[in-house]
Amino acid sequence: MVEITLRVNGTACTGPAEARKTLADFLRDDLNLTGTHLGCEHGVCGACTVIVDGRAVRSCLMLAVQAAGSEVTTIEGLAPDGGLGVVQQAMWDSHSFQCGFCTPGMVMQAVAFLGDHPDAGEQQIREALSGNICRCTGYQSIIDGVLLAAKRSRGR
Amino acid sequence: MKLPPFDYEAPRTVSEAVELLAEHQDEASVLAGGQSLIPLLALRLAHPAVLIDINGIEELSGVSAADGWVAIGAMTRAYVAEESETVADALPLLAAALPLIGHEAIRSRGTIGGSLAHADPAAELPAVARALDAEFVVRAQSGERVVPAAEWFEGYLTTSRDPGELLVKVRFPAAGPGTGISFQEVARRHGDFAIVGLAVSLMVSEGSISDARLAFAGMSDVPVRAAVAEDLLVGERPSTELFDEAARRATDSVDPPADLHGSAEYRRKVAAALVRRGLRTAADNAGERQ
Amino acid sequence: MAAIPAERYTGASIKRSEDPRILTGAGRYVDDIKLPGMLHAAFVRSPLAHARVLSVDASAARELPGIVAAFTGTDLEAMTVPGPDALMALLGGAGPTPEFTLLATDKVRFAGDPVAIVIAESRYLAEDGCELVDVEYDQLPPVTNASFALDPSSPPLFANLGDNIARPHSRNEFGDVPATFATADRVFDFRIDVHRHQNMPMEGRGCVASYDGGLGVITVYTATQSVHVSKIAVAMRLGMEQDKVRVLAGDIGGSFGLKIGASREELAVAAAARAVGPPVKWVEDRGENLTTSGQAREESFDVRAAVSNDGDLLGLDVNMVIDTGAYPGMGTMVPGIVEAMLPGPYKLAALGFESTAVTTNKASYVAYRGPWASETFVRERILDLIAKDLGLDPLEIRLRNAAPRTDPPAVMITGRPLAGVTTRESLERIAQLVDFPAFRRRQAEARTQGRYLGIGVATFIEAAPGPRSPEVPSGPMGTEPMRLRLEEDGIVTLFTGQMPHGQSHETTLAQIAADEFGVPFEQVRVVTGDTDVVPFGLTGGSRSATMAGGVALHGARQLKAKVIEVASHLMEASAQDLQITDGQVWVRGDPASAISVGEVARRAATGRFAPGLDANLEVEAAFDGGEGGWSGGSHCAIVEVDVETGIVTVERYVVAEDCGALINPAIVDGQIRGGVAQGIGAVLLERSAYDQDGNCQSATLMDYLVPTACDIPRIEIEHLETVPLDADVNFRGVGEGGMIVAPPTVVNAIEDALAPFGARIYEQHLPPARILELIAAADSGQ
Repeated sequence: MVEITLRVNGTACTGPAEARKTLADFLRDDLNLTGTHLGCEHGVCGACTVIVDGRAVRSCLMLAVQAAGSEVTTIEGLAPDGGLGVVQQAMWDSHSFQCGFCTPGMVMQAVAFLGDHPDAGEQQIREALSGNICRCTGYQSIIDGVLLAAKRSRGR
Repeated sequence: MKLPPFDYEAPRTVSEAVELLAEHQDEASVLAGGQSLIPLLALRLAHPAVLIDINGIEELSGVSAADGWVAIGAMTRAYVAEESETVADALPLLAAALPLIGHEAIRSRGTIGGSLAHADPAAELPAVARALDAEFVVRAQSGERVVPAAEWFEGYLTTSRDPGELLVKVRFPAAGPGTGISFQEVARRHGDFAIVGLAVSLMVSEGSISDARLAFAGMSDVPVRAAVAEDLLVGERPSTELFDEAARRATDSVDPPADLHGSAEYRRKVAAALVRRGLRTAADNAGERQ
Repeated sequence: MAAIPAERYTGASIKRSEDPRILTGAGRYVDDIKLPGMLHAAFVRSPLAHARVLSVDASAARELPGIVAAFTGTDLEAMTVPGPDALMALLGGAGPTPEFTLLATDKVRFAGDPVAIVIAESRYLAEDGCELVDVEYDQLPPVTNASFALDPSSPPLFANLGDNIARPHSRNEFGDVPATFATADRVFDFRIDVHRHQNMPMEGRGCVASYDGGLGVITVYTATQSVHVSKIAVAMRLGMEQDKVRVLAGDIGGSFGLKIGASREELAVAAAARAVGPPVKWVEDRGENLTTSGQAREESFDVRAAVSNDGDLLGLDVNMVIDTGAYPGMGTMVPGIVEAMLPGPYKLAALGFESTAVTTNKASYVAYRGPWASETFVRERILDLIAKDLGLDPLEIRLRNAAPRTDPPAVMITGRPLAGVTTRESLERIAQLVDFPAFRRRQAEARTQGRYLGIGVATFIEAAPGPRSPEVPSGPMGTEPMRLRLEEDGIVTLFTGQMPHGQSHETTLAQIAADEFGVPFEQVRVVTGDTDVVPFGLTGGSRSATMAGGVALHGARQLKAKVIEVASHLMEASAQDLQITDGQVWVRGDPASAISVGEVARRAATGRFAPGLDANLEVEAAFDGGEGGWSGGSHCAIVEVDVETGIVTVERYVVAEDCGALINPAIVDGQIRGGVAQGIGAVLLERSAYDQDGNCQSATLMDYLVPTACDIPRIEIEHLETVPLDADVNFRGVGEGGMIVAPPTVVNAIEDALAPFGARIYEQHLPPARILELIAAADSGQ
C-alpha cells in the first residue's frame, strides 16, 4: 500500500492505494467517481479518459500511485455546481450520445483537444477522437457536438 | 482484467534504479509510460515480482542537440518529442513518425525510451531508430555502454539490454543537408499499429542519392533494414523505375509474418507499395533541406 | 390569463432527458453499483475449446486471504434447478435444447467456458484466486467449423444430442419451386458466406445479486433488455417463486441483442450470492465479452436463383447452415426468420428453403442487431451478381423486381403482406440524391489515374413491428402494456417494461404522452427497470417505436379521458367541453377556468366525489400494434479501394429511409447511423476469429476492430413520406435497419470498384488482405 495525495476535480484527496490499482479503479472505487468508465482496461477504447496535469490520458493505463501529486479532472469535475460546460452543452444540443457509456471519455478527450486546438476542423477532430470508441452513434453527432462547442467558444 | 500483485519501487535517481535492477534482474519490469506494459499486466501476460517505476527520475527526460546528434532522455514523453522544435528541425523522420503512434492520450504518457525498450517490431519508433542507426545508452551499476541500433533489437519484444541495465537515453544523428524523409504505414485504422510501416531517409546531393536508409516495421520480429534496396539506390538518380526495382528487391529479401491482419504475401505487397511511395516522398522533399 | 398554447413535441428533435446525467458522469450503470459488504466474482475459464473436465481443485484459491468462496460447476448444480435457457423456453425455441449447466461440470465446450467461480473482497483478489484454481482437462478434438460439425464423425459436444446438429435439417417450399426453376431462362448457383462477428457494446454483461435471507428475496441489478425476462430466468434457475425475485436495471451501455434473459455467468453469480450471504458483483471484462458473451452471423448459404433473361428474380432455392457455437440458443431460431424474410420487397414467386443448425466449439450464437440480416445480404448480393451477368444496372434490376404497392398489398410468398412498403420510392429517391451518371464519369476518369472508385446500392425491409396479419403469431412480444398515472404534483408517470439501452425512450415516450395528454414535456416521467413496478416488456426487434409509442399514445388518451371525467365533476362542466393543454384543464373558450392537472389529482385523491366515479387516475393500457407496418429503405455507398494496400475508404453514404412517422428525428437518425457504422465495421474491420484449435484470436480490442471516428463518413439521411396505415400510430422501428442493409451496400460498392479486375464477391468480410487476394485471383483468371 502506498499513501498518495492528489487533487481531483479541485479537491485534495489522500488515501492508501495498492500499487497495482489503476487510476481508473482508484477514481471509481476509492473516490466514488464512477463517471469514468471501464470499456476495455487495455488502453484501446478511451472510455476511461481523464485529464491529468492538463493532458488527456487513459486512466486504465496509469497506476493510481503514479498520479500522486497530480491534478486530475474527471467528467464530474468539468462543470461547476451542476451546470454544463461548453462541450457538454453543445453535445446535448447536438444529440451526440445514445447509451452514454463512451460519453465521459469522449467528452474529456474533446475538452482536452479543443483546449489545445480551438480552431480545429472536422478531419482533425475525427483524428483526435479516433482513440475513443463509440458503438452507438456512428460518430457524426459527436463530431457535430464538438464542432458546435468550438464555434461557441470562438464566439465568446 | 486486473493487474496481478507485484512489489513496487519508485527510485528517484538512475543509480537507485540500476541498484534495484542489479538486485532483481529479470524478476523486475521497468515501468516508464506504461502504455505497453500496463496492458500486458492487465491481461496477466506478465507477472513481474517487482515493478520499478522510473517516472520520478527527472534526469531521464529532455531533448538536447550537440555535435550533430540529438539526445532524447528515455523518459521523454512522446508528446514532448512531438512538440519539440529541436526534433522538428533536426530529426524530421522522427517528427513524421511520432503523430502516428497510437492516439494523443497514448502519447501523453508513452515515452521514447519505453517504446524502444519494449521493441514491438510493428511500432513506429524502432523502425525510425533502425533507419537512422540511433545509439542506445544503457547504464548499469558497472557503468554505461552504448549499443548501436543494429545490435539493440534482438527479437520479438527482446533487446540486448541486460536485466541489470536501464536505458537512459537514445541518440539520433541530426539530418544533414539534402536529407529527404518519409514515414508511411498501412494500418487497419488511424492510430493502430502498422501492419507494415516504412521509415525512409535519403540524402540527395547534386541530383543523385548519396545515402539511403529504409527500415520496415511489421515485416519481421525486429525492425529490418532493406539493405539490398539501399545498396541499389546509392549513387543513382531518383526515378520511378529505380524505386520500382528497389521495391522488388526490398520485398524479395524479407520473410514477413502472417497474422489476423495480414498474410505474409499481403505484407510483401504492401511493403513494396510503401517502398515506392516512401522513396518518392523522400526524394521529393530532399531538396527542401539545405 | 393569456391563451394557453398546445405544444407539439412529436416530430421534433427534443433534447434528451437522459443527457444531463449522461454528460456529467452521473449515469448509473451496473458497475457503478456499490452495496454494503459487496463482494466480487471472477470466473475460471477453460483455455481449451473441447475437453473433458477431470478435476477442479479450488483449495489453494480458498486459502488466499481475501477469497471468500469458490464454487465449481458441480457445486452450482447442487444449488440450482437444471433446465434449458429461459429465453428459449419463453420463445418456444426450435430444435433440441441440450441441457447445460451454469458452469461446466464434466465437459468444456469452448475456450472460455466457465469452470469455477471465485468470490472475493475485490475483483483484483478474485482474479488472483482464479489463477490458483487447478483444473485437469482431458483434451478432445475440437469442432471448429460447420462442415466438420455436419460430419457424423465429428465428436459430439453434447452426449444427449449424439451429434453436432443443434437443429436438424428442415425444408419448406413456397410456390411451385420445381416448375419455376424448370422454366426459367437462367439458373444461377452461388455460395454466399457471412462471417462471425459480434455485438461488442461499450459496456459488457454484468450484475450485482443481493440475497435477503430473512425475506427470502433476491434482488439482481443487471444490464438487460428486459427486466422481466431476466427475472423469469433467475427465478427458474434458482428454483424461486417469481415474487421472490426482483430485477432492477438503470443505465445500460448498449446491448444490440446481447443482454437478454440472463447468461450462465449471471445465474451463477445469483446462485453464489444466495449461498454466501453478502451481495456479489460480476462485470465481465472486455476479454470475457469478446470471447465468451456470444457471437453472431456465422452463416453460409448455397443459393440457386431462377431468373428471366430480363432480370426477373423468379425463384430462390436456398440451403442455409448456421454455426450456433457451443451452447445453442436463439441461433436455432434464426433460420426460420431468414426463411420468412428472404423474399424481401420483391415479387419472388417461389422459394425453397432448407436449413441446419450446428454446434461447434466456439462462443454461442446470440442475437445481434437484426439477427436475420443475412437474408438481405444474400438477396442484395446475388441481385448485383445477376445484374452483372445480364448486363443490367443495379438500380434497374431492383426497380424491376420490387413489388408494386397495391391495395390490397402484395403478399410475400412466405405469407406477410407488403403493406405500405415504399421500396420503389426509396430507390428512386436514391437516384435523385446520388447522381449516378456523374459518378460513372468520375469513376472512369479515376481509373485512368489508377484510382478505383465504386458505387453500391441495396434495399431492405424490416418488420418493425411488421404488418397486421393472421400469420403472425402473438406471444409475449405481441402486445405492449403500459401503466400511466397522473401524480398529485401534476407529473404523468409512464411505467413501461421497455428497457432502453441507447434508444432514448425516456425522451421519445414522453414526447408522445405529453402531446396526447396535454402536459409540457418536462411533466412526463418515464419509469423503467424494476420488475416490482413496471409491466412486462422487452426492448428489441425494432418494435418499441410502434408498440411502446402506440401504448403511450393510447394510454395517455385513456388517462386523459379519465382525468377529464374527474375534472368535469370538479369544475361542474361537461366532459366534452373540457380540454387539457400545457398541464391545465380548462373549459374551451374560458381560460380563466383553468386548473392544473396536479390540482385535479390532489382533489381526486381526497376522494370527496359522487359515488360511482372512478377517481383513480391510473390506467393500465395495452396496445397490439395497430396496423403495424414495415420499415425499410435503400442505401447507397461510394467507396474508394486502394488496390496496392487493400484499404477501403467509404467516401459517401446515403440513406433513403421510410420508418413511418418520426417521433424524434435526431434520435431516429442516430439509430440509423449507428447501425450503418456497425454494418461498415462488419465488412471492413470486424471478425470474431478462431484458429483451428478453437482458440479465439480476437480476444482484445487490438484484434477485434470496431470502427472509429475516422472510419465512418457523414451519413446523409432522407426520410420518405410514409404511407400511414393506422389512424393514430404510424411510428415504426428503425433500430436494426442500418445494420441489416449496410453490409451488402458496402460490398456491392467494393465489387463495383473492383470491376476492372473482374472480381466477384461471395462473402461479407473484406479486410485489406482479402481485397488484394480478390484482385490477384481475378487477375489470374480464377
